[in-house]
Amino acid sequence: MLSRLLPERNIHFTSSTLTWREAITQVAAPLLEAGDITPEYIRAMLDSVEAGGTYIDLGHGIALAHARPERGVVRTGIAMLRLAEPAALLDQPEHAVDLYFCFAAADADAHMRAMASLARILSDADTRQALRDAASAAEVVELITEFEESE
Amino acid sequence: MKFLAMCSTGLGSSFMVRMNIETIVRELDLPDITVEHSDISSAGPDSADVFFVAKDLEDAAHGLGDVVVLNSIIDMDELREAVKSAAARHGLV
Repeated sequence: MLSRLLPERNIHFTSSTLTWREAITQVAAPLLEAGDITPEYIRAMLDSVEAGGTYIDLGHGIALAHARPERGVVRTGIAMLRLAEPAALLDQPEHAVDLYFCFAAADADAHMRAMASLARILSDADTRQALRDAASAAEVVELITEFEESE
Repeated sequence: MKFLAMCSTGLGSSFMVRMNIETIVRELDLPDITVEHSDISSAGPDSADVFFVAKDLEDAAHGLGDVVVLNSIIDMDELREAVKSAAARHGLV
């Protein structure tokens, strides 16, 4: 499920120092380019963090940027951006994040299935660490595929 | 006994926490616990026996009753301890 929604082309690594706004905009860029989301969805994600949305911080340096489906999701998709330097949400050091995911779900059903898949992977301590240690998009895809096959 | 995972929209993180609590409840073989998730604004003191929120919603959950505040919503070790203590507080173990 997740390996299909998070293809290699949606996984990027950057060595640039980014703000949280730039990080969210960049993690979402492959979804925007593919037509999975509209620019409105990126604005909605930024607005929700601006409005106090540090809830997208999952802990362990990982954030899951998302907004409601009706705010501009065309097709369900997930993207990932690994930063060399953390970009703290709302510039709050306690919300330092260096692994951003963008989650775009077209409807509630897709939302639940994809979220369940992502939650299992991120809640598994070994896989989470391996994901943080991964150095390439191919490696990330391989990790996720292995995890899904082992379930 | 009802455990309720909450987040601001009732869509994302609360669902993740609910799944993880369900896994732990099965793993620990705890009796008679149902787990649900919802948005925090529709929850009241009668909605559940124990409420689980991430730390950014700590203030919003004030007054609901037995509220467990999580530092990370994907940390199974932290959640396992929280579920165990909640079960103990309510006389389930």
